[in-house]
Amino acid sequence: MMVPEAMLEVRDLSVAFGGVRAVTGVSLKVARRELLGLIGPNGAGKTTLLRLLTGVVAPDAGTVHLEDRDVTRMPIHRRAQLGFVLTHQVVRPFRDMTLLENVMIAAARRQTLRPWRALASVETREAREQAMQLLERLGIADGAGKSARSVPLGYLKRMQVARALALEPRLLLLDEPLAGLNYTEATRLADLIAELNAGGLTIVLVEHNLGEVTRIAHRLLVLHNGTVLADGAPREVMARGDVRSAYLGGDVVAHA
Amino acid sequence: MYYVELLVIGLVWGCTYALMALGLTLVYGLLRILHVAQATVFTLGAYIGLLVANRTDSLPLAFVAATLSAGLLGPLIYRLVYEPILDKPPFVALVASIGVLIGMEDGFRLIFGPYGLSFDDNPWFTATWSLGGITLNLVQIWMVAAAVVLLSAFALFAARTRAGVAWRATVSDPVIAQNFGVSVMRVRYLNFFIASALAGIGGVLVGLLNNLVEPAMGSVISYKGLAIIVLGGLGNVPGTLVASLALGVVESFGSVFLDKVLDRDAMAFLFLIVVLMVRPKGLLGGAH
Amino acid sequence: MDYYLSVATFAALNVVLALGLNMISGFCGQVSLGHAAFYGLGAYAAALCSVAGMPFVLSVLVGVVVAGAFGVVVGFAALRVRDDFLAIVTMGVGFLFLGVVRKQAWLGAEMGIARIPSPMGKGGYALMAIGAAIALVLLSLHVRRSWMGRAFDAVAQDEDAARTIGVDVAGYKTVAFLLGTASAGLAGAIYAHMTQLIVPDAFNFIQSITILAMVVVGGIGSTLGVVLGAVLLTVMPELFRFINDYKLLVYGALLLLVMRFSPEGFAGLYRRVTGRRLA
Repeated sequence: MMVPEAMLEVRDLSVAFGGVRAVTGVSLKVARRELLGLIGPNGAGKTTLLRLLTGVVAPDAGTVHLEDRDVTRMPIHRRAQLGFVLTHQVVRPFRDMTLLENVMIAAARRQTLRPWRALASVETREAREQAMQLLERLGIADGAGKSARSVPLGYLKRMQVARALALEPRLLLLDEPLAGLNYTEATRLADLIAELNAGGLTIVLVEHNLGEVTRIAHRLLVLHNGTVLADGAPREVMARGDVRSAYLGGDVVAHA
Repeated sequence: MYYVELLVIGLVWGCTYALMALGLTLVYGLLRILHVAQATVFTLGAYIGLLVANRTDSLPLAFVAATLSAGLLGPLIYRLVYEPILDKPPFVALVASIGVLIGMEDGFRLIFGPYGLSFDDNPWFTATWSLGGITLNLVQIWMVAAAVVLLSAFALFAARTRAGVAWRATVSDPVIAQNFGVSVMRVRYLNFFIASALAGIGGVLVGLLNNLVEPAMGSVISYKGLAIIVLGGLGNVPGTLVASLALGVVESFGSVFLDKVLDRDAMAFLFLIVVLMVRPKGLLGGAH
Repeated sequence: MDYYLSVATFAALNVVLALGLNMISGFCGQVSLGHAAFYGLGAYAAALCSVAGMPFVLSVLVGVVVAGAFGVVVGFAALRVRDDFLAIVTMGVGFLFLGVVRKQAWLGAEMGIARIPSPMGKGGYALMAIGAAIALVLLSLHVRRSWMGRAFDAVAQDEDAARTIGVDVAGYKTVAFLLGTASAGLAGAIYAHMTQLIVPDAFNFIQSITILAMVVVGGIGSTLGVVLGAVLLTVMPELFRFINDYKLLVYGALLLLVMRFSPEGFAGLYRRVTGRRLA
């Protein structure tokens, strides 16, 4: 049973780049503890929508509310501080840091909140422990001391999730976390995402890997040409004719 | 009338800047390097041009010599300085370029002396031409002519010739260009040749304009060139041209109206900073 | 003895300048090619105050504050532009500073400001400069160890990623500029009183590059490396007097060679040999 309070509410969001309407009039609600899958063929506007949600891109019209707060024009770092966290499609680790350090810097969010306060803080034990726990949770503790340059993609993807979790998010946006992973890795990470959600974390998941996303999401939202095409339970949505035809000619990764 | 004269003079200067800045934007567009060392080929062209002119009394020969010497030094700088460090972070190339600039400036000073050399015979300097109350000397006219001819030639080259197409392809996507059989190496050498030759010609012209060739003559124009390519949008060729002319005009008017406030050379940077604060992507926005 | 005190003082001042630049460019990753402008701002502000009769300590303080204030302004500019743009903007700031100073009569124009009152002897300035250098070293080492240093590192490596994990990138960049430029201002204030004469050319682009060279040769990001770089580049021209005639040639070649063979400077060599990072 889902508590019917909207964690995220998007109203009529639109943005155009140089004449191309990337996202037009998109509205959606994400309930607390929900796991929403955001899908759609290439160029549908999924990444743009995510960027609108996290503040990388400013909308031409519309609003974004996190719980009750209007975050439409809030800077990226403030959204993250509020618990509205994103992981990137193309992994962006801090390459010259170890996996542990990558997660630590996020775990130390209270110490780094204000620069002058950060100057006075040298204590790293708490952040280190917290980071280590998260790495263990994600199953990559053995890579803790390794530089982000030297570990495989699967590790980096999971490190990204660990780093996001270190921020104690209220809402987690995952941009194609399974991309580039082989079948086993993808299944494992998808299971982990489902577990995190079951533990109470509200998640919005953008994915191309339809097999996994239909398996773990409570609800699917289909974007096509920058607008919402369908919104409902995975099985129903995937059975729709217009959804199938939207995907024809686009990239579809199907796992049984 | 006075304003028109300022405008014309500004445009003449703008043409000078264009010859320098185009080279900078070409290098940036291809390699993302701020080729401050462009000053070196500019100054070399000026010195070689002067020496040949004084020795042979032939300005055309001087220009040919300047073009060739500058045009060859450019690719050499690429090969020795930039190529080994292409994989390093951008500040490495920038600092290396600065090293070349200040080192070579001193080098010119040591070889040719600190006080500069003059042309024995500078007929263009003295020949003038008037139209509607505005008087320009022949050097200034040649400056504009050179800029117009050379830049049009370059535009034609980029659009029509095979080498030009290959160059454009490499700029926009080196991997794909390579897949189509384009020799990226050759394009780079060509790029530096063109960029440096233009600067070398500019050097001779400026030397003729001031009737003086001295070791530091390239530096300030090179620094301003950087401001210009940022204004025009890094890598954006038409933008660079517009910005060059705009800067020339701004300096021309500025040196009259802001004379009590600001040194002329600093105007380029005031212009730059003001524009960037309003439009962080430059006057016309970037090509990348 | 006087001569050695002089060299020591300049070495210490250069350490302060280089460590300040290191904080901006090395720790926080913000390119700055106009650092000498802040050196100059501190010098001019302090000089004007002293000439006007203010007590020494107050003049120095004003120098620090003025340089830091302008640093914050430039820091704001750094927020709007990045990387290559920032390099050119900071270079422009340097030229702009000179361009304004050269034309203003009240700033001494080309002649500069002379007969700046000097309350201490050479020994006093040496102590003061060395004291400032030590303070900067301690501050640098502390920043590195603290969460501010770690946040700087995140900003330097990938500012977009840093934002998405809640780091106030704008705030950190501004603080980096503030710390770096205020320390340059301190060096400038000491310099002005010590030499009793300041001219615009002492704070030109070449000076900015000289400071950059110290940071780069020592190893950008490494406090001890930068100290070594600053001391070396101050002392070498004194030890090898003939270098003075070819100073720019040597600097140019040095920058080129370091970038080509060891872009991480002396600290990089240290790491290759010992496998450890130099603080």
